[in-house]
This record gives sequence, C-alpha cells and structure tokens, in this order.
Amino acid sequence: MRWLIMAALFLPVSGNTAVGSGYAVVVSSESAIADMAPDKIRDIFLKRRNFEGGTRLIPVNLVGEDEPRREFEAAVLGMDREAINRYWISNHFQGVSPPTTQASLQSVKSFVENVDGAIGYVPLDMVDGNLRVIYEF
Amino acid sequence: MVVKMNKNSGCSRRFLTAVFAPWLTVGLATFSLAVCAQQDYQLGLGYSVNDMLTVGGYFSTEYAVGDDSEEFVVDDVAILAYGNLTENFSFLAELESVDFFRHDFETGSSESNVPPAIERLYGDYKFSDTYSVRFGKQITPIGYWNLQPINVLRETTSNPRFSREMYPKFLTGLDIYGYTPFDENTGYHLYFQGTEDLDDAYININIDRHLGLSLDRQLTCRWHAGVSMGRFDDLDNTATRYLALNTRLALGKLTLFMEGIRDLHESNSGLHEQSTAVYGQGEYRLTPQHALIVRGEYFNNELTGIRERIGILGYSFRPVFPVSFKVEHQWHSDSGDNLWLGSFSVLF
Repeated sequence: MRWLIMAALFLPVSGNTAVGSGYAVVVSSESAIADMAPDKIRDIFLKRRNFEGGTRLIPVNLVGEDEPRREFEAAVLGMDREAINRYWISNHFQGVSPPTTQASLQSVKSFVENVDGAIGYVPLDMVDGNLRVIYEF
Repeated sequence: MVVKMNKNSGCSRRFLTAVFAPWLTVGLATFSLAVCAQQDYQLGLGYSVNDMLTVGGYFSTEYAVGDDSEEFVVDDVAILAYGNLTENFSFLAELESVDFFRHDFETGSSESNVPPAIERLYGDYKFSDTYSVRFGKQITPIGYWNLQPINVLRETTSNPRFSREMYPKFLTGLDIYGYTPFDENTGYHLYFQGTEDLDDAYININIDRHLGLSLDRQLTCRWHAGVSMGRFDDLDNTATRYLALNTRLALGKLTLFMEGIRDLHESNSGLHEQSTAVYGQGEYRLTPQHALIVRGEYFNNELTGIRERIGILGYSFRPVFPVSFKVEHQWHSDSGDNLWLGSFSVLF
C-alpha cells in the first residue's frame, strides 16, 4: 500500500496542467482563453491552426536554442530540432514561415502582454498579473 | 484526355506570363541574391524581409543513364515569394522554368528553356480553422506526393507515374479548406475549377473543369490517412471521375507510404475506360543525413494503353536538409526502360 501511495505522488497529473520543469505557456491576462490542450498548442506553434474562439493567435518563440525553447520543443511539440527544421523547410515551399521570435524571455513576456492574440512560454516564476497560464510543462 | 508535358507551346493565357514573369523574375532574383548575403538568412527558409514578404526558391539537376540514353538536365529553376498582407490574408507567387537546360550525350545536342511560367499564384483568406479559402493557381490537394512535388523535398529523384498522369497536378480555381467542425482531427478540402489553367506551360492534364473533395485524418500520432474524390473534364471532352486513397505510417526511422487511385474515363463518343495506379514506398533513415528508399509501382492506363510495373531502389544524402543528393535505379517491366538516375537539388 505504501508503494502505491508513493507511486501515485510521482505520477504526472492528467489533464491540461502537467507537472513539468517549471515553464508555462501563457497569453495576456486580458485574453479570453482560459486553458488549452497541449495538442492544440502544438498545432498553433506549428501553424496548423491559427484561431481560438475567434481570436487569431500569434505564436512567439524564444530565439536560438536556449533551455526554455528546447524544453518547450521536447515537452509540447514532441519534436527534436532536426525534425522541426525539416518541418519548417517543407513548409517554406508551402508559403508558411516559422513563428516570430524574441531575443529574450523578457521580450517574449512583453510581446505576449502587448500583442493581441500572442501566445508564448516563460518560466513559471516570470508569470505575474499581466499573464495567464494556459498550460504548464 | 490529354496528357500534356508541354515545354514550349503557348496559349492565350501565357500572355500574363509573357508580360509579367520576366520582370518579376529579374526583380526577385536580384533581390534574393542581395538578401541571401545577409547574416540572418537560413538556408531552406528563404529570406524574410518582414511579415509581408519572404522570398526563396529552389533548383534541381538530374543525370540519367539508360540502355540507349544519357542526359543531363537542369530541371527546375524557381523563385517564390509569399507573405501575410493582413492578419488573415496571405499570398504566394512562384515562377518556374522547367527543363532550364538539357544536354543529350547520345546526340551531343543541348537545349534550354529559360522563360519561366506561373507555377503557383494564389491568395489565402483564413476566416477560421474550420473555414479558409484559397483562390488562384495552386497545387491540387490530393494525397502526399502531389503536395511535395519538388525534387529537394522528396527522397527519390523520380515521381511515381501515379502522381504524373492520373489527376491534374494543378488547380486554377477555389479551394475551401480547414478542419471539419464535427471532428477537429479531420481536415477537408473542397475544390473547384471552372476555367482553363492560368498558365498551361507545365501542367500534366489540360482541363477546364474540376470538382473534388479531399479528407484527411491523423488516426494516431504515427498513422495518417486520406481520401480524395472528384471529377475533371479535359479539353478533349473526356470526363474523368477519380477516387484516391493515401496512408502514411511512421515507425521511428522507417516511414511507409501508400497511395492508390482509380480513374473512370468517359468521352462524348461513348468511350468508357478505366485506369488504376498504386505505389508503396518505404524510407529508412540510417542517420539524419542518409536514407534508403524502396518503391514499387503498378500503373495501368486503358486510355493510353500503358501498363507497367516499376521497382525503385534509392539512396538519399542530405548534408543539411535543404541540400539533397540522390541516386536511384529503376527496374521497369519493359527492361529497355531501366534507368540510373541521380540528382542534386537545393531549396533556398
């Protein structure tokens, strides 16, 4: 019985909020979006989908290959950098560009706060009253 | 049905190309060369000037050796431009010269075909994820192969006959597309053409009417499938109805594809013929740079009387993904058509 309880404590939580390494997918606190399934976040960052509740979404990535971006790509997109590069190169031929990028996490936060429909990811400890967490990873 | 692999002939619709294409080509090429020198350019993703304009292009060369043929071809030279003009409206323009340069080693003759044609020219308006509209000249949304038609994006130099002769590769008209409102995992395309092609230089079947529906669904994270059905009328007054199926299975390093189509042809003279084509392809990725490919094809066109089986074994090397070196050997049921084929292609 003790083993079962211990195991249960370490199991991931099901649903939209997963126990992760301390990052959050965020939108502006003024957004109407309350939460979002990880599959939909993935589709939005791959530009397979563009809308949520009538709002045109604008995904924003952290530039480069720093840890927050690598964590996001592994945990939410479920793709390594090689697969992501292949995906966007194939989409270049279809006229679809990768999401816009920002140079720092602070820039990502400001972008999400100030641009209608923006959706990004930041460490949980950067979340304040201007942002709404819609998914944790 | 007219199966047209026209290189040089024109029609009234070439007027647009003749007037605009050379200037657009020179302008975009000059601009592309200038911006490619910028430090933030990444090969394979084009150069993004801003959200309203990204420019890029591609080219491919082929070398083929058969029993009684040997030739070198600079096959495709193309430039493309696209961007978002407003939040919901985007565009794409692509100009391409097919058979840009060809040298026949058997006869020692060379020829070139520099003037480009309008390969694609369309606008996209996205109303929602369930309802968007694409209008203009575009790739017909059928299956997998047709949507990735250029050399550098494929793992073999050759196309299956399936994709060359069984349905129109291009649509000049309207495509309403998105995810179905009743199932978010099912995508749809409802497409229509009511005129001749915007530029018939490189089209495979010359039509003036096409109506079709494609559905595709991600069945699991590894398994995808789709179906397309429709009808097109070619300029010889032959009507063709088609039903096509496609499926793709990703098993780690191994990816399997299969596509099949059945055509029913009817003409005013009372002709009733059928055509069937199917191919299966396996791609095994040894490393991110190296892959082995095996493909088997069956093709039977009662209209043209062509019936054959083709087997292909290929190797693909990509030092980086937008740069592709490929070699393949084709075994045809008529062994006189057996062929070695190599290519080099770049997407920029």
